[in-house]
Amino acid sequence: MIFLMEERIKIEYDALVIGAGIAGGEAALNLANTGYKVLLVEKDHSLGGKMILLSKVFPTLDCAACITTPKVSEIARHKNITIFTESEVTHVSKRGQNNFTAEITKKPRYVHVADCTACQLCEKACPVNVTDEYQYGLIGRKAAFIPFSIANPKAAVIDIENCTLCGACERVCPTHCIDFTMETELYELKMKTVILATGFRLFDPLEIPRYGYGQYKNVITSMQMEREIAPTRPYNTILRPGDGKVPDKIAYVLCTGSRDNTVGNPICSQICCMYSIKQAQLLMGALPMADVTIYYINIRSFGKGFEEFYQQAKGMGVNFIKGKIGKITEKENGNLILRYEDISSGVVSEAEHDMVVLSVGVQSNPAVSNIFDAGSLKLDFHRFVAQKDLMGSPSKTSIDGVFVAGTASGPMDIPDSILSAGSASSEAISYLSQPQQQ
Amino acid sequence: MKERIGVYVCHCGGNISDYVDVEKVCRAVENEDGVVLARTTLFACSDSNQNEMINDIKEHNLDGVIVASCSPKLHLATFRNVTERGELNKYTYVHANIREQASWAHSDDKTGATEKAIHLVKAAIAKSRYAEPLYPYWFEAEKTIAVIGGGIAGMKATASLADKNSNVVLIEKESRLGGHTAEWGSLAMTDEKGYELTERIAGDIRNRENIFILTGAEVISTKGSIGNFEIRIRKKPQKEGDPSEIMVMKIGSIVVATGYDHYSPKDGEYGFGNSDWVITLPEFKKLVDSSTGKILEYRGMRISNVVYIYCVGSRQANGGNSYCSRYCCTSAIHTAIEAKKKFNGIVNIHLNRGIRTYGKQELLYAESLQMGDLYLQFNEESLPKIFVKKQKMVIAVKDILSAGKELEVEADLVVLVTGMVPRSDRSVGSMLKLPKGRDGFYNEVHMKLRPVETVIDGVTIAGTCQGPKNISESVNSALSAATKSYSLISKGTLETEPIIAKIDQENCSWCSKCLNACPFDAISKEAVHNREVAIVNASVCKGCGMCTPVCPVDAIDLTGYSSKEMMSMIDVLV
Amino acid sequence: MNGALKKSAKILVFSTEKISDPAIDMAGLLKLHYPPTVYTLTVPCSGGIKPAWIMYAYEKGFDGVFIAADGSDCIFGESCTEKTGNIVSMTHEQMKEKELDPARLRMAAICSVCSEAFVKQIRSFNDYLLKTRNA
Repeated sequence: MIFLMEERIKIEYDALVIGAGIAGGEAALNLANTGYKVLLVEKDHSLGGKMILLSKVFPTLDCAACITTPKVSEIARHKNITIFTESEVTHVSKRGQNNFTAEITKKPRYVHVADCTACQLCEKACPVNVTDEYQYGLIGRKAAFIPFSIANPKAAVIDIENCTLCGACERVCPTHCIDFTMETELYELKMKTVILATGFRLFDPLEIPRYGYGQYKNVITSMQMEREIAPTRPYNTILRPGDGKVPDKIAYVLCTGSRDNTVGNPICSQICCMYSIKQAQLLMGALPMADVTIYYINIRSFGKGFEEFYQQAKGMGVNFIKGKIGKITEKENGNLILRYEDISSGVVSEAEHDMVVLSVGVQSNPAVSNIFDAGSLKLDFHRFVAQKDLMGSPSKTSIDGVFVAGTASGPMDIPDSILSAGSASSEAISYLSQPQQQ
Repeated sequence: MKERIGVYVCHCGGNISDYVDVEKVCRAVENEDGVVLARTTLFACSDSNQNEMINDIKEHNLDGVIVASCSPKLHLATFRNVTERGELNKYTYVHANIREQASWAHSDDKTGATEKAIHLVKAAIAKSRYAEPLYPYWFEAEKTIAVIGGGIAGMKATASLADKNSNVVLIEKESRLGGHTAEWGSLAMTDEKGYELTERIAGDIRNRENIFILTGAEVISTKGSIGNFEIRIRKKPQKEGDPSEIMVMKIGSIVVATGYDHYSPKDGEYGFGNSDWVITLPEFKKLVDSSTGKILEYRGMRISNVVYIYCVGSRQANGGNSYCSRYCCTSAIHTAIEAKKKFNGIVNIHLNRGIRTYGKQELLYAESLQMGDLYLQFNEESLPKIFVKKQKMVIAVKDILSAGKELEVEADLVVLVTGMVPRSDRSVGSMLKLPKGRDGFYNEVHMKLRPVETVIDGVTIAGTCQGPKNISESVNSALSAATKSYSLISKGTLETEPIIAKIDQENCSWCSKCLNACPFDAISKEAVHNREVAIVNASVCKGCGMCTPVCPVDAIDLTGYSSKEMMSMIDVLV
Repeated sequence: MNGALKKSAKILVFSTEKISDPAIDMAGLLKLHYPPTVYTLTVPCSGGIKPAWIMYAYEKGFDGVFIAADGSDCIFGESCTEKTGNIVSMTHEQMKEKELDPARLRMAAICSVCSEAFVKQIRSFNDYLLKTRNA
């Protein structure tokens, strides 16, 4: 919905939801469907978070896009939801019960979204090439670009940092929606409750140099492999980045950055076993000749349908080897040697693979606590948003009226994130329905 | 039949017009039967064109509107809205996709693309001729919501619904609230005890005006559908020997939170039933919580070596329970730590199949290792064997972690780490026709899109009756289910999608094929003029159409997709 | 049917609104070309397609009919796959009676991003129909 700037500044909202990934989106929908006015603020250019970039989801192998895009479309069309993209909440202060004020910075997109038809002519005309962060560095994109084919809003963005201001995009745009005079907008808005759905970061395997990420071209992260498998993927098949060869002996290294005190993360990231098994199954389907081996400590297939999914992968011929990978080294032809303790034989062994996928773990986004006055939003020991009443009300935070949904509170998979969002929106509605106290 | 149809063919700023000759399309259709207006537009979705369309509707007295442009996913709602603003029924609007399915798909063949676009628009016109105004069916919903099951999930769902000013009736079979959680003492990941937690939550819902709590009460029958359920409840009498009370209640929507049962090991399973010192995890937890003193004793024996055997009743091969029960690794390790802290001389030996302390619970595993607990791992091909040697219980295990060495462990007490199984009392599920998943627990419609809903409209599932989960996860599920059950009926009057199946009762010869084909129980039998015919419940019918192909006399059509419409479109497309 | 050699077969596609239609749309978006004589009719669920419509299509001159089924993605539940299969069986019976080549009816589950699968199916179906219908 498009408001005039002055109108937007005057409007009060019932709820502010920070983050438009699956948890934030679900929470916003629940509140909006109950009749409340929601302001959904997303830092990135599109709704959908990480989920919309995935290939298929475990354990049903539904395609992620099929599930995310209808939700995202529902959110975008909902009359009770106002969406700010490329916007960040810089400060939230609590003035009292049901009384919050948020300062929001909306960065300029340089495109009038309502008029953009996603025709892609600007992309074709733009002369600048940079790495595409939505494809996790696998390919490039232009400085005038549509984030990805299923983005919402489906509209172009000008990456002003890399833009050379040549104006080629402006000239070819048929609706004249590119506007280099757009500026950063600052808002101060009021709301009655806040839901934090700021998600997680993926562990950066550069922190484990002995795995060779960043050094050896054919060592990639699971998110990069996810993009290679996804239907909206950059290449037409699975390729290894070093030489473009189709791999046939792929290795997965589980617990990269999790259950690991040496990188400061002793907890289990909960999703990596399952997503690795999922990718392994998809690879067995896409590359029937390939060999896929998963090196693990424990396989944590604990959820509904997970154990069966694990057995299915074994049946398909995915190899499971219990043993933590100690070190990875590279051969001249780009192949990799993995060194590990083979638990079943009790001997240190080495195995050669032509491509390695690091199953990176879930880390917190602790910056969310800076939004609130110093120290008021407590983080837990692992720097996730602390849950004040983990058993009785898992979405309550240390601030009354501020709730947490999804992976902002800890590692969890998609179904758990959705239920957590349902829980947070339920508590938010209870909070909004409380009789006012003076 | 429509007589004044307006057709708008969109350029889409070149996206269509670069490949499809939009003017030619207009000329090809402007003389079709019923068409009074056909023109092109640069951007059909633009505000300016929308306003022009509204003017056209009024000026030219249009009774049907067609836009041929991009995929309906983008702007179907927009154009339906335009027709409404032009004071036509929005379901008379018909859309033709000539971008994704013509100009873009055949950008290599402009002639072919144009020809196809002409066909697609003609098909839309054919459909538009038959498109009737449709009105959703409205009815007044009952306001009370029933929660079946008073464990932690049921209680939290009740509290959440009451917060939203809903009237709630909480029906619990046992004489007290709290379910399994109330039986636990110390819990993992928190300092609060199980019964303290349930007491806290129960305290929140007692004495609230809009909550009616019935304990010692069972649902004995249900009928009706969303907004309109009728349930019968039998309440145990206060005094023995008095007759039970039967209550009848009218309910809008239902939350099922009936929980789980503990797996009960079979006789002889790992020595269960043969030895008094083979007990289950819940029994061990009770023992640890209730024992005082610095030494752990059980049936007169001092307990030092505690051997835990994991995955009892879970992850079974060969037709047993193939699923993982999710909560048990964490619970067993937590109890083992408690025991070691509380009592002297405890040695914990964990015989497991891979420890699944997922997420932050991993810290408990680390703590247990630090405290000196022993972990031996076996796989499903060689399960541990329990026998008596020199009057002591011994368990033989092939340990993967020492490269398959065969080890023997002495035990004072064997704790079988038992999982969760679906309730043996299936009555609520059968009454409500809730489908079960492969694991025997109630099945949600879609794990991600609709995780707490069931195919039965108006019935949601919460907590462990949907599948094994821990307390925190049960609460999240309960609050989600409550919000969903509430939103289903909160508007007061319910609107149903007007796309429903319609039965020509004159031609119906009652064979029950349609009733059997319907996945939602929306078809039933009724007597009309002394004949038995089928009737569709408009408020339940989802418009899937699965009943339409099975009728032997072709007496069912789906509104908007009738044989007449489909065949007239086929006529034109060929 | 004209005796002249055709460039492409006339194929009628029954597609489902929420599942396969988005895939067919995306095939267009990705410019995955397929013959322009392929027309799509949208229905809510592939379990609701009447064999009578399929037979009518053949009668009117369509070379082939393709059902883009929901498969396990069906929003109306799990019985869809079985029911769509039944529809194909019922139609095959009728096709046999009319001595129509049963391979002129095809079905495949098309998920909402299965554009490549859809195009592959259509192209191979088109090749088959051209071969057998022109012979």
